[in-house]
Amino acid sequence: MSFFGPALVLLTIFLFLPMILTLIFSFTDYFALNPDLTHFTGLGNYISIFKDEMFLKAFINTVKFVIIIVPLQGGGALALALLINRATYCKKYFKVAFFVPVVMSLAVVSTLWMQIYSPEGILNTLLGKVGIAPQPFIHGANQALPAIAIMSSWQGMGYQMIIFLGGLQAINPGLYEAAEMDHASAWKKFKDITLPELKPLCVFVFITITIGAFKMIVQPMVMTGGGPSHSTYTLVYDIYETGTVNWEIGLASTMAIVFIAFVVVLTVIQTILTRDKEDKEEKNDTYKKAKAR
Amino acid sequence: MILTKKQRRVEWVFAIIMILLSLLFLFPVVWMIANSFKPDAAITADMNSVRAFIPPAPSGNFFDNYLSIITNTSFLRYMGNTLLYAAALIVLSVIVNGLAGYALAKIDFPFRERWLLIIMMLMIVPTETIITIHFLFIAKMGLLNTVVGYILPMIVNPFNIFLFRQVFISLPDDVWEAAQLDHCSAIKYFFTMVLPMSKTVVATVSVFTFLSVWNDYLWPSLVFTSSDLLTAQIGLNSITANVNTTMGMTLALITMVTIPVIIIYSLFSKQIVEGVVSTGSKEG
Repeated sequence: MSFFGPALVLLTIFLFLPMILTLIFSFTDYFALNPDLTHFTGLGNYISIFKDEMFLKAFINTVKFVIIIVPLQGGGALALALLINRATYCKKYFKVAFFVPVVMSLAVVSTLWMQIYSPEGILNTLLGKVGIAPQPFIHGANQALPAIAIMSSWQGMGYQMIIFLGGLQAINPGLYEAAEMDHASAWKKFKDITLPELKPLCVFVFITITIGAFKMIVQPMVMTGGGPSHSTYTLVYDIYETGTVNWEIGLASTMAIVFIAFVVVLTVIQTILTRDKEDKEEKNDTYKKAKAR
Repeated sequence: MILTKKQRRVEWVFAIIMILLSLLFLFPVVWMIANSFKPDAAITADMNSVRAFIPPAPSGNFFDNYLSIITNTSFLRYMGNTLLYAAALIVLSVIVNGLAGYALAKIDFPFRERWLLIIMMLMIVPTETIITIHFLFIAKMGLLNTVVGYILPMIVNPFNIFLFRQVFISLPDDVWEAAQLDHCSAIKYFFTMVLPMSKTVVATVSVFTFLSVWNDYLWPSLVFTSSDLLTAQIGLNSITANVNTTMGMTLALITMVTIPVIIIYSLFSKQIVEGVVSTGSKEG
């Protein structure tokens, strides 16, 4: 038990206690600059945050961000993994090349892309060469969020690509050999073998990207400060500003609880979806039986 | 696999297309490095041609941007700070999480299985949501703007505890029994036998701890206000916000922040890739 002691003390102070306090504060109007005036407000905060325009805006922005980035990053990662897996030459170079953005920090990537997205920047110059008029990117209320989503998926894609490559290499080559004897087309092999075999990994990857995307804050903090006209203001940004800038810990805690609930629901969905291993094996059996016939 | 001449040609065409794709993918990085050696006037002038992606010919002022960062800003100091914080955190986090992982794997104590379950559940909680409370605690303890205040909440990590536990559980018990015959205390056994026997997981946890400290943005931006203690990422932001910082200097700065990470990745690529792949296979 003494081995577990130091970790237990720190877990209590920095995980259990904050979680319990967050839950308690979420039912109060705790204001850190004047803690004596704290009242118990019941579900008041929970009702008021859903009437708060800024919170709703942040919520919608976050959902929009998730909707853009999940197919882009997850699909991109899968496509890259399939292409690299198919390549015979320069395999190692490809793995490294597409992984490079992953090693760069969010602050670095954001600073770099601020230059790339700047009105007279390199991207607008390149677009000009193919006859596209200059775009505002992060300086336009309509484009800022998608621009940040594209940048973020560029940065993160290599990570999931490595996961997918691991999954692809774990597929039993016998399955493909059986399909080849049957003269199955490349598309049929992909649809009937690769995709079903990768399904649990896909669920895992897509949920991880979703949870990661819900936590997005650093990119708008560095690049746009949440603007223009709050178009890149996210959930975690709102929690952060409410708690550490406005000191409204009660309200920030309520937002945090709603957010944690969201993440927990997603994790539960992931667990349920990845658990149907029997289902997967059944499909393999049907495929093998179909082969036998 | 033996390829015919025609197949080999197809494979090379495919590889060349992939190389072009990877260059397109990497154009921001290539642009960053190439232009970090140029004065702003040259960056703007080169924007319209292929030269935008080619570094200038080496000359006397090739490293001007880098030199002006080193002489005019405290950036080297920020990088040094971050290295120190990372070193301290690696030591603390291997000891604290390692001991906890060992306890969960090998030592019988009340509710051990229950604790393991709790640790696994804690891995889900996004730290971004309790950062406000951490900030409140550290402020109440009077530790804002101190190194201790920065490090304290980051030591314990449920994910690392779990990682250690998974490795320690397969350690053979007879070594411990032999050590006991030699009157070796449990704590001595942990440091002289368990950790050296588990170099891989110690390396993995160290690498991930280093990367999380080096790349962290939110927590250090809250804790540190004094410019003496800033980490590289926060320092980067405060320097680029300065009007005297040129575009070339900004690009040189972000290249400099990335260099240590690239070194770590190339030294430990095996551990990192295995770590990444195992997160996938563990869940999937």
